[in-house]
Amino acid sequence: MKPSEPAVHALGLSKRYGAGHTAKTALQEVTVAIPAGEFWAITGPSGSGKTTLLGLLGGMIAPTQGEVRLAGQTITHLRDHHRALIRRNLVGMVFQEFALVSGMSLAENIFLPWVPEGGAGQNDRRRVAGLLDRFGMTPFAGTQVERLSAGERQRGAIIRALAADPPILLLDEPTASLDTANVGLLMTLLLQLRDEGKTLVATTHDLRLANDPRVNRVRRLVDGVLET
Amino acid sequence: MRRQLALLGFAVGSALRRTGRTLSLAAALALVTFAFASVLFFTEALRGEFRQGLAALPDLTVQRLVAGRPSLVEESDAAWIAEMPGVTAVRPRVWGYFFVPALAGNFTVVGVDFERDWEQLGGHLTVGPGRLPEPGRSEEAVMGEALARFLGLDLGNAITVPVGSTFQRLELVGVFRSDVALWSADVILANESDARVLLQIPEGAATDLGIWLSTPDEGVVVARKIADRLPGVRIVDRQLMSRTYDLTFDTRGGMMGMMLLPALVAFLVLAWDRLTGVGAGERREIGVLKAVGWRTGDLLLARLWENTILAVGGAGVGIVAAYIHVFWAGAPGLAEVLLGWSSLYPALRVTPAVDGAQLVALLCLVGAPFVAASLVPAWRAATRDPHSLLRGGS
Repeated sequence: MKPSEPAVHALGLSKRYGAGHTAKTALQEVTVAIPAGEFWAITGPSGSGKTTLLGLLGGMIAPTQGEVRLAGQTITHLRDHHRALIRRNLVGMVFQEFALVSGMSLAENIFLPWVPEGGAGQNDRRRVAGLLDRFGMTPFAGTQVERLSAGERQRGAIIRALAADPPILLLDEPTASLDTANVGLLMTLLLQLRDEGKTLVATTHDLRLANDPRVNRVRRLVDGVLET
Repeated sequence: MRRQLALLGFAVGSALRRTGRTLSLAAALALVTFAFASVLFFTEALRGEFRQGLAALPDLTVQRLVAGRPSLVEESDAAWIAEMPGVTAVRPRVWGYFFVPALAGNFTVVGVDFERDWEQLGGHLTVGPGRLPEPGRSEEAVMGEALARFLGLDLGNAITVPVGSTFQRLELVGVFRSDVALWSADVILANESDARVLLQIPEGAATDLGIWLSTPDEGVVVARKIADRLPGVRIVDRQLMSRTYDLTFDTRGGMMGMMLLPALVAFLVLAWDRLTGVGAGERREIGVLKAVGWRTGDLLLARLWENTILAVGGAGVGIVAAYIHVFWAGAPGLAEVLLGWSSLYPALRVTPAVDGAQLVALLCLVGAPFVAASLVPAWRAATRDPHSLLRGGS
């Protein structure tokens, strides 16, 4: 990636679901360039297309039109195989409902990305141990995820997203199920990650996050259109 | 290898997380495999029993038919047959089925000249506990152990069986075991004179003539010469009998197999139903795995492992259960259908005989469609984008 290249770059991004008269446009001609090492918040009411935008930026959905570049690399026309590698190595995604697999321990969830590679290496294990420690989750590593509180699951999901040390972290409504104390704790951790050089994009309609002056930029999405 | 082991470990965990689905499918798979494997084991074991039994039979057996019914042969014919080139021995044999109404079953009574014939039989029979009947002494018999057990007889006990308007007494002096279980299942060996009384075969006549040849290739020529001289006789070739038995058990086993086909189809329908109905939780899990970087191929491989474990586990349980059912428990419910002609045979313990190729074929018949069926829904889910899977889109 060239130094001037945005870490996350969306160019004329549109997404339409369905076809014919039942077609619904979720996102329209969204263009946004997020520089590396910044923390951006995307706000907007429910149904405005925030989650769809995040899904497109993370290579979870293919756009109907437009292009996504991550760290200077176009991911839009990649085949499933290559997009999977992007999701594993370049971008970490934290979902609103955490997307942890029930019936598995937190550690098993965190190490899931490495299963198809034959398991995590020593460096990966050391990094995960460091993350567990840093997020105060070491005592819960062996706990089944359904026994964790919402705040603990949120932190667990962030650890999994960071486990492969991706430069970009995408977070969907990260504070939605947290109390004020946990929001403060989470914000401190996210800002630390930003200060370490990671690029963070969080969708939210939580003013506690959107109004935090430490967030680099807040953009508003309404009816699939990004306000200028 | 590391990749396969990691995916295998994940697959095992995945199967354990969905205990209800795993157990119901494994149980259905085990049941269907059990049914097919029982038929397979029992048919194969019986075929093995008969093959062993046939090895001790004469190369040719001469029987007389009168109006299509088996009749007695003249013992005197043995002399000129023994003179024929290629014939090494001829034995007039006295044997027959003895029906006992009270037991609703047949005994096979075989008359033996223990001095003359024992050398030939002794290779296949072991007497003990007890002894052989003394030559020339009447009212003594040895029984197969299955029959003695069935009748509840100990050594020294006697039975009295009705013969016409009189009764014949037989004392059990020994019990024999055979390397051919069918031989000991319902057989009474008695002195030839006692057998003649029981079966009402007069002196000078015999049930059939057993002919041993220097080489089985002589069979056709010898049989033709006998048939020319004794019109109306039936000459049974041992090789022909072998093929007939094979055909009989193949037919019976095949019929049982056909009857079980609906069970197989029902199982596959159940499996398809359970596997195609990928639940919301399972869809979400696939979405999570894709979101964290799993490729479609990884997901399919993990699912392949999971269902292979399930198929091998379920089929393995079915095969072990079938082995126990057939070789330890005597195949209750199955022996009656495949044997069918004697109330004594359910007590039969056949010698374990398993055909590996047939087992592999069975695993392919039951396991392969199941594993293949399981991949279709997994593939349908795995090719969708993780976003829609996580948001619960159908």
